[in-house]
Amino acid sequence: MSNQDYLNIKGRVLNIQRYCGEDGPGTRTTVFLKGCSLRCKWCANPESIKLKYELDYNRKECKGAAACGLCLKSPFPEGAFYVVDGEDDKVHANWDLADITEELAGLCPTGAIGIFGKEMTARDVLTEVLKDESMYRNTGGGVTISGGECLLQPDFTAAILRGAQESGIHTAIETAGNVPWPYMEKVLQYVDLMLHDNKQMNPERHKKWMGVDNKRLLENFKKAYETFPNKEFITRTPTIPGINADEEHIRAVLEFIKPYKNVVDYELLPYHRYGTGKYEFLGKVYELKDYDPPTPELLAHLRGIIDEAFGRELKNG
Amino acid sequence: MKEIKRVAIALGQGFTPGVNAIIMGTAITAHRLGWQVVGIRDGFEGLLFPERYPNNGLIDFGPENISKLNPLESDAMGTASMVDPFNIRTINELEMVEEVDMSDVLLGNLKKEGIDAVIAIMMGRGLSILHKLNLKGMKSVCIPRSVENDMASTAVSFGFNSALSFTIEMLDRAMGAAKSAQKIGVIEVLGAKSGWLALQSATAVLADAVVLPEFPCDVKKLAEHLKSKINRERPYGLVVVAEGASFTNLPGATTEKNDMLKKALSPLADDDESSQFVINRSGKAAMVLSHALQQLMTEDIFPLVLGPWTRGGSATAVDRQLGLGYGSAAIRAIQTGQFSTMVSFMPPDMQFVPLIEALNKVRTVNDESYFIDIARSLGINIGGTSV
Repeated sequence: MSNQDYLNIKGRVLNIQRYCGEDGPGTRTTVFLKGCSLRCKWCANPESIKLKYELDYNRKECKGAAACGLCLKSPFPEGAFYVVDGEDDKVHANWDLADITEELAGLCPTGAIGIFGKEMTARDVLTEVLKDESMYRNTGGGVTISGGECLLQPDFTAAILRGAQESGIHTAIETAGNVPWPYMEKVLQYVDLMLHDNKQMNPERHKKWMGVDNKRLLENFKKAYETFPNKEFITRTPTIPGINADEEHIRAVLEFIKPYKNVVDYELLPYHRYGTGKYEFLGKVYELKDYDPPTPELLAHLRGIIDEAFGRELKNG
Repeated sequence: MKEIKRVAIALGQGFTPGVNAIIMGTAITAHRLGWQVVGIRDGFEGLLFPERYPNNGLIDFGPENISKLNPLESDAMGTASMVDPFNIRTINELEMVEEVDMSDVLLGNLKKEGIDAVIAIMMGRGLSILHKLNLKGMKSVCIPRSVENDMASTAVSFGFNSALSFTIEMLDRAMGAAKSAQKIGVIEVLGAKSGWLALQSATAVLADAVVLPEFPCDVKKLAEHLKSKINRERPYGLVVVAEGASFTNLPGATTEKNDMLKKALSPLADDDESSQFVINRSGKAAMVLSHALQQLMTEDIFPLVLGPWTRGGSATAVDRQLGLGYGSAAIRAIQTGQFSTMVSFMPPDMQFVPLIEALNKVRTVNDESYFIDIARSLGINIGGTSV
């Protein structure tokens, strides 16, 4: 077995995005993997949630039923694609009935029909990542593996990160931490920075909003801080008024990370609704549609508490 | 065809007033044929998780129990928290959340309980799920219910008349409030994709204007129309807006760009195809429109949201009659072997249409709709267009 045979491992990738600025230091390439072990009701990437492949339909690319209409006939499943009355004859998709394969999607001549999720080897992913090697050096950036939950595919994630580290590239992961500890441990050895969520410290409320309680993921985070003292960790909260945008939650997270010097920051990510439209697109219901993003004043107040805890001068006055 | 002995009723997600009338219509007709009728608790959940319920998740709708039901209410079966047995959310042995296909469990338990056919009272996505179950061998007949009357292949869905009546009653009160306060009321009613409830209720109360999802509203033109109607003798007005309304010429509207942050947080986020400002949040249409009109007018404008209130309450006489009719017709469909169909009320007839024909369609208001003509004839402005 050659030294780099570990890169032959295959995984399910949702998307590889270059020039990202939010997933760690510098300018980065973020690899979004498919599949998640939580069901956060505000998830901005609903197409990443299920591990299985799903229909990806871009209506803008459709030529229309009159000009094409291939998907309205066999071998496409009956009712999977349809047109509605009116001037616009571009095809619509019914996600419940469009259980289609990549082969079937390939029959669409415009590429409007595709599949969310693609099988790739770690080598394929690394090749994409290495395209911007010089940019990482110039900006202090690197590669971040995100999701879904990247630790659901621990061997695949570890292989990409190992390959990146062997090429001298900074590595980071974004995780919610709800996996068996061996999954996290396996990946962390190849990670320079772990960005991890702390969405809700109350276990019952965590279960209500995320689908499972937070007992295991908090244990995992503690083990990670203690087992890998030389790695850097940044904890983050997607901040949503009515769910966790309050002092009680912020102070509970600060208390949780206080003993660990390798937790170098606590970031608040203001809730947004950019993913809302995709829920209908995927035949899913967006349950938080009546929730508002935090006001700048509230965010500044909560960030002030964090700055104080980290002994920083207040960033936000 | 196998002889029918036992029929089950399943009620999909969401509340509709007066479902008991459908149950009564189904059961009374079935009893006369010597069939048994049961209800599946909480959608399909009663048979997906029978261990969680008394009587294995079924409710006996024998003659004695049916005689106790109130046809105006919807309290006999519970409401489904989900309709999709193909995607049941569970926590697996690794304590991770995942969706599993339990359709075989459902079909197995239907067989175990000796249920020969299912009458499914469904709307929206429930039709697709029903179609998938039919493809797997379930024998079913669908009854359409929708308080927005947006289901295709039927003239009137069950529940619409009750919602319409309540909406009209509330709009009358809003009109009274507007008159008393000498203000313009902007009242939001249900209707995400289809404007029937807004159009017919606005017509009934002789509103000044109605804004429908099907016709993007030019807010500046709407303001001009309202200015022309409001005067010293009539210093008030009423605008009815459907929750799924879209607007053009909206003062102060901004378009969010696909910036780096947005892309990083949501890699596949994309702009809307149109440049219209589309409202997709309950309660927001009234607020956005009233704020926009306030910027263009000097008269005081107040928003009010009827929205979810409309789904509650009791059935009207029309829905009570329609429910009994739908239930009875569904049994006739089963009796004559017309499975995988939906009962369709095309006055004066009840018909059975293939379910696949009702799928993927929304019954919308179009320019040729007779109710549009009526509204225009009465001087009601449709979304800022000229009358």
